[in-house]
Amino acid sequence: MILTGLLLLAMVLLGAPLFAVIAAGAMLGFYRSGIDLSVVAIEFFGISEMPVLVAIPLFTFAGFVLSESGSARRLVRLSNALLGWLPGGLAIISLAACALFTAFTGASGVTIVALGALLFPALSQAGYRERFNLGLITTSGSLGLLFAPSLPLILYGIVAGVSIDQLFLAGILPGLLMLAVLSGYSFWINRHVRQSLAKASWSEISGALREAVWELPLPVFVLGGIYSGYFAVSEAAAVTAVYVILVEMVILREIPWRELPRIIRESMVLVGAILMILGVSLASTNYMIDAGVPQRLFEFVDTHVSGQATFLLALLIFLLVLGAILDIFSAIILVVPLVLPVASLYGVHPVHLGIVFLAAMELGYLTPPVGLNLFISSFRFERSIVDVFRATFPFFVLLLITVVIIAYWPGLSLVFLN
Amino acid sequence: MRRPRWMRQADRWGRWLENAFLFALLGGLIVLSASQIALRNIFSAGLPWADPAVRMMVLWLALAGGIAAGRDRKQIAIDVVTRLMPGRARRLADAVSCLFTSAVTTALAWHSFRFVRDSHAFGDTVFVGWPAWLFQIILPVGFAAIAYRYFLRALMAGSDR
Repeated sequence: MILTGLLLLAMVLLGAPLFAVIAAGAMLGFYRSGIDLSVVAIEFFGISEMPVLVAIPLFTFAGFVLSESGSARRLVRLSNALLGWLPGGLAIISLAACALFTAFTGASGVTIVALGALLFPALSQAGYRERFNLGLITTSGSLGLLFAPSLPLILYGIVAGVSIDQLFLAGILPGLLMLAVLSGYSFWINRHVRQSLAKASWSEISGALREAVWELPLPVFVLGGIYSGYFAVSEAAAVTAVYVILVEMVILREIPWRELPRIIRESMVLVGAILMILGVSLASTNYMIDAGVPQRLFEFVDTHVSGQATFLLALLIFLLVLGAILDIFSAIILVVPLVLPVASLYGVHPVHLGIVFLAAMELGYLTPPVGLNLFISSFRFERSIVDVFRATFPFFVLLLITVVIIAYWPGLSLVFLN
Repeated sequence: MRRPRWMRQADRWGRWLENAFLFALLGGLIVLSASQIALRNIFSAGLPWADPAVRMMVLWLALAGGIAAGRDRKQIAIDVVTRLMPGRARRLADAVSCLFTSAVTTALAWHSFRFVRDSHAFGDTVFVGWPAWLFQIILPVGFAAIAYRYFLRALMAGSDR
């Protein structure tokens, strides 16, 4: 038992795909219990029994198309026209624009590449210190995670069996709190940057509006449709995919059709990688529940932790460590089925748990050794990982405080739910 | 070491095939889900087989994307340790982990095949009476393709200098 565990761990560290390691673990477990191994295939087939899952390929594809188009540039121009006159405004623009872009494109680092590349020089030009800019852009790369229709939120809803609509509502205030805290910090630290980038100009605003006229309806459409209950999540995903193809490829023609197979491949490779893990985890989770792992986990936690407050603290520490070594998708698929029953025994609402989980994992993007944003920034802006980490650190600390607030103030997440 | 011509050709064809497959699946997914919405809103109607068909397509996309991810080396893995390894050790780690993955997916392919065979024997059906094995067949085929991919990768990692 311990030997196989060590062997599987060794495979993980040698770089074997997680899905293979999980599948191996599940098959070994079922084999020991004398259960026919075709159960793994049957469980994997369960992917075809989850109606919401279709949202994942559709939103992922739409996000990839958006990030290949000029929508990032138009978004920056428009926000700049609207808020550029405000002293310190550009930092706040960057945060808000990145959050919106990340919510739609998924926190796969594409925000840093697409938006960061535009914002980084603009920030320097406006007189912000370089280290601040680097930290800001790196942090912004995962900032929109709690806003609809972000992929991790959808995935959590699927794995935890929680209404995705409720998760979308629950993410609003915690997400805004993160934005507000970082904006406040940016404002305060740059209070001496009096030079504003642009003068308020009606002609620039109307020009930017005209340029973005095709994309502006998208967030209104999708968010309005979802929050009003007009669209189910999977329908919103289909509408988004069709709309994005129509706008970026037919109307604006920014992406040539011959690029489509490549974009489809790149986006579906990500989808395949996520769904492979999901499929084999259906089997491994089933095995672990059969073997009473959540029950034993609860007994273990119960002997060391008493009360909800202590549990949340332990959970936060656990999630921070988890986020530092595992990507957000695998973490959701693997850990949520185990943590969820334990958390509910401590009276943590499953929707609140989801927000805490994602908020804490968002910090994982900024922590070494596997913090994705650190690597992408380091690569994109040609700075060492250590430099990027140091620049990001104040933002990290602020977000950490916010995550603690989100964890201990369930009302913030649950206020819209009744 | 430059790979022989036939191998590069096979790589090109394989990639093309995967792309065509992904294109067809995602395209079908978009068209089908969009027309369902249009039908529902305009005619208050819908195709009864569309929803289960969409769900099957997602399963097929999972495997097709998984196959492509194997070729592109984009399967989700933890590379903290291997990144720090010197070249020779890294190649060895790559060979071992690819061989392991190939073995696991071979087992998955075999047990999926048994699942599909039984489903065929029992005459299981899914929506509108279609035989279920027709949709389940992607499991053994997909896992076998991934097993093959990782076996090749293990060979290549082992043979590079």
